[in-house]
Amino acid sequence: MMELQAILMAAGGGSRMMDLTYNTPKPLLPVGNKPLIWYPLNLLERVGFEEVIVITTRDVQKMISTDPRMKLDVKMKLDVVCIQEEADMGTADALRHIQQKIKTDVLVVSCDLITDVALHEVVDLFRAHNATLSMLMSKAHEFTETVPGQKGKKKNGEQRDFVGVDGTGKRLLYMANEADLDQGLVIRKSIMKKHPRMHIKTGLVDAHLYCLKKSVVDFLADNKSISSIRGELVPYLVRKQFSKSTNSPKIKDEADQNLKGKDVSVNPEIQIWFRDEKLLQLSQERSCWNDHRGDMGEAYHGGRLRCYVHIMEEGMCYRVNTLAAYIEANRLAPKLFEEHAIHPSAVISERYLIGADSIIGASCQIADKTSIKRSTIGMSAVVREKVKVTNSIIMHGVTIEEGCNIQGSVICSGAVISRGADIKYCLVGSGQRIDPEAVRTNEVIVGTDQLMEI
Amino acid sequence: MSSRGTKQKKGNVTNEQEEEDQPLQAVLIADSFNRRFFPISKDQPRALLPLANVAMIDYTLEFLTSTGVQETFVFCCWMSNKIKDHLLNSKWCRPTSPNVVHIITSDLYRSLGDVLRDVDAKTLVRNDFILVYGDVVSNIDVSQALQEHRHRRKVDKNISVMTMVFKESSPGHKSRCEEDDVIVAMDSKSKRVLHYQKTQGLKKLQFPMNIFQHGSDEFEIRHDLLDCHISICSPQVAELFTDNFDYQTRNDFVRGILVNEEILGNQIHLYVTNEGYGARVSNLQMYDSVSSDLVRRWVYPLTPEANFTDQRGQGCAHSRHNVYRGAGVSLGHGSQMEENVLIGRDTSIGANCHISNSIIGNYCTIGDNVVLDRAYIWNNVHISNKVKIHQSVVCDGVLVKEAVLLNKQCVLAYNVVIGPNMSLPEGTVVSMHHPEEEEDDDDDEFLSDDQVVGNSKDKTKQKGLVLNPDPDSDSESEASDGSQDMGSRSVSPEMDDVKVFQLEVLGTLQRGEEENIGCDNLVLEINSLKYAYNITLKEVMQILTKVVLEYPFQQQGTKLSSSQYTVLLLPLLKKWSPVFKNYIKRAQDHLDCLSAVEELFLEQETHQTAMVKVLMNMYQLEILEEDAILKWFSAGATTDKSRQLRKNQGLQKFIQWLKEAEDESSEEGE
Repeated sequence: MMELQAILMAAGGGSRMMDLTYNTPKPLLPVGNKPLIWYPLNLLERVGFEEVIVITTRDVQKMISTDPRMKLDVKMKLDVVCIQEEADMGTADALRHIQQKIKTDVLVVSCDLITDVALHEVVDLFRAHNATLSMLMSKAHEFTETVPGQKGKKKNGEQRDFVGVDGTGKRLLYMANEADLDQGLVIRKSIMKKHPRMHIKTGLVDAHLYCLKKSVVDFLADNKSISSIRGELVPYLVRKQFSKSTNSPKIKDEADQNLKGKDVSVNPEIQIWFRDEKLLQLSQERSCWNDHRGDMGEAYHGGRLRCYVHIMEEGMCYRVNTLAAYIEANRLAPKLFEEHAIHPSAVISERYLIGADSIIGASCQIADKTSIKRSTIGMSAVVREKVKVTNSIIMHGVTIEEGCNIQGSVICSGAVISRGADIKYCLVGSGQRIDPEAVRTNEVIVGTDQLMEI
Repeated sequence: MSSRGTKQKKGNVTNEQEEEDQPLQAVLIADSFNRRFFPISKDQPRALLPLANVAMIDYTLEFLTSTGVQETFVFCCWMSNKIKDHLLNSKWCRPTSPNVVHIITSDLYRSLGDVLRDVDAKTLVRNDFILVYGDVVSNIDVSQALQEHRHRRKVDKNISVMTMVFKESSPGHKSRCEEDDVIVAMDSKSKRVLHYQKTQGLKKLQFPMNIFQHGSDEFEIRHDLLDCHISICSPQVAELFTDNFDYQTRNDFVRGILVNEEILGNQIHLYVTNEGYGARVSNLQMYDSVSSDLVRRWVYPLTPEANFTDQRGQGCAHSRHNVYRGAGVSLGHGSQMEENVLIGRDTSIGANCHISNSIIGNYCTIGDNVVLDRAYIWNNVHISNKVKIHQSVVCDGVLVKEAVLLNKQCVLAYNVVIGPNMSLPEGTVVSMHHPEEEEDDDDDEFLSDDQVVGNSKDKTKQKGLVLNPDPDSDSESEASDGSQDMGSRSVSPEMDDVKVFQLEVLGTLQRGEEENIGCDNLVLEINSLKYAYNITLKEVMQILTKVVLEYPFQQQGTKLSSSQYTVLLLPLLKKWSPVFKNYIKRAQDHLDCLSAVEELFLEQETHQTAMVKVLMNMYQLEILEEDAILKWFSAGATTDKSRQLRKNQGLQKFIQWLKEAEDESSEEGE
């Protein structure tokens, strides 16, 4: 039996990069000529998962099964579960939706995660501490590339997340968003007594990768008010670590009784943790090990609900949920896999200049005297003579006519760039046609219907 | 300050080379400016109290000297002559001393702030200096911290004004006492202090958001730090104290710097060490832990046998289980020194004694069959046979007569004679000083870090202390003062305040009765007491009710019959009804008063018949309204007892009567 069941959340719409996801759902956006969803799948496959539950929408399922360009190159068995897009389900809702399928602890991954993390780091925390939750975070990266349509440097006006970890940097003690901290950062003294050294970190991104105990999923099933894992469940669990009811032995006994009596009507809160195995409990009681200094108290101060976080100090970890992140991911993704940069089926003329850091997709046609640097060219794209492409993402089926100069731009699928156009730092929506000799700088070029929606 | 600041800077430019060569200076404050050791400190300044048979100030000076200080200014206030004499006779004032000690005394110092202002006025310090109290015991090598401090100042143009030295020590460690617990928020990279707060009595710790706005993305909140009360200060510190004449303590200073960081641009940093020992003997609990740490050699090389003060005859021999014996110690037949025992010179111990974890001073005599555990016996103490002492302090010159039992946390101050055949309850403090005498001659409050805690408690303590060493009038002292407690971790000053307030109200009323003081003046006095002890209005009323109703018992003893009681009480009620009326105004007040009445009569079960009369009287005197009484009767019962109380026949009748009266009056109204 598998230790962990992997669940891939791929139903998100990509609301923060509408210009890109207008035609292509977020899970299928090409990154390094592979659909975005391939990256988390590959991550799971690399560590040996054989089966993944993929939660997604019907659209995505259809495109995966029909569109050859979206073919997922994975050997794992994919158990695709579709949810209705209109239902506006959060990640926790989705988890609740598939509760029947869940037999063990789960590993939940978001489809927009591109990382080279050693996944065992997260899982080991989960195992070693018999944790209720362990998750992955990473130091936030500065996006260096210019983002189309964005005037100047984006100001750091976003509300920061405050994440508190203990002295070892593993135990997750505190989590709050700046927006909720009008009263200042408030921490109970009892927490500080148990974990006297708390690191408060602000420059972190949550990778949306969680190991959760099965009991948490059961808890979700009973507690329908929680709809998002990151927004509600995780903060709830983090807080709950130190709440009295979770730790007092009296309730523990009650819970034990309930377990015997199979009483379902108990307060759902306490079900999260009481399913510790008897032997495990016994071993903990008998062990002289404890996790703190200063006194000889019980390990974990008797706390039964524990949250841990692995924070990546180095390496790559991106969540592709904004245009900036998408561009950055495309720039870095080729480093993740060792494949031929130029697909064998691409038709490329003799005299060309293609940088080593570029990727040319299958059945592309690249004409003479082109120069392609630090760019990705999607499948079946056509690039004519004397075209210069630098620092750009060209999606599937794009046609670029003679003498164009494309720099720092994203050209969505099916777009046509007419002869001699000069495009710098633009986003060209799918199916758009750019007039010959047009000069565009720092614009978002999308169809009118698309604009209406925004 | 600006003009001086620039002068300083100029000086720095020219002297940059010399800076390193200049002698390192220290400011040692040999006064605590608080009364945590009262009444012991009445006879001897805290800095001279013996800690493992060596005066505390000697540890501090040894620490400073070993860390490279070459010039120390010792500031004394309380009993400055004694400190001066001690220092002049010590090795520090010998011509060979590597650390030149200057003694500066003044009776005008009332706080650390005053001292530092004086430092500034006299321009004593020329460079970075170390600021310590005279009760700091440490073996930390601060040269590393000093280097960091200097480096910061060189890089950042004098922005950092202070580096505080902390020792890592997890909560639960015995060297932590709640009184001194602090929480520090710092910037992980720069080690800058962003927030500094004492945590005693707090449940939630609140950090203002602006401290997280400094561009750094990693902060640390630390509760595992023990404040060693060693600070490395820039010369500006003294100037800042002068500029801000309201800074009295280091806490004021730190808070001021942190709050005004954006305006003044001054910063405070911290240095955390996880090796070395550093602690301040700030109260008896710390005295206990530091003493035992010394004996257990945690402060190496400052060990008892090292005789670092270089006093002749101080040396002692160290044998296994940390047993130290001074010269000329005699031990009777069958006596055991179990472990961690230090015995000073020329002390004789009788037969069949059992001594563990204790320190005994010089020239003591201890009788036969004595049990000492965690006892701190100072010099010239005479302990007779069959005495048992647990976790207590016995000061110089005390005579403990036969078969006395000192329970935990007792203190026998200087020259007390006690016994024979008695047992002191836990936490008893016995001193030769009359508490009132203290109040008279030392009215001005000291200003210190512990001020808030100290003040409110000192008052209660003075009430609780036994002043009379006469063995017969012994132990009415329930000295529940947390300040003198060793090892007691939960202190509730509020409770004490309420108790004291109650006593004061009683006293006021007694005087009112004796001297026939008008009710207006009584109200005035009670009001001022209310503010002095920070008592809520509700509590005032409850206590007032209680005191008045108990007054007959107070005067005539508890053996009164109910009828006698009412006879005595009713005139009093009438007399003081204006006082009641002053406090009982809103509907809630009536209910509170009634519940106080109920509570009292629940205690005095035999007198429940009197209750009706009291209520009746209060109703007739218009102290209580009928609505309130009815409401109380119908809704107030929460326990079985109070339900029982309401079944009292007289009470039922009274209520019935009230109801009828109400009906009548309402009918009349119609």
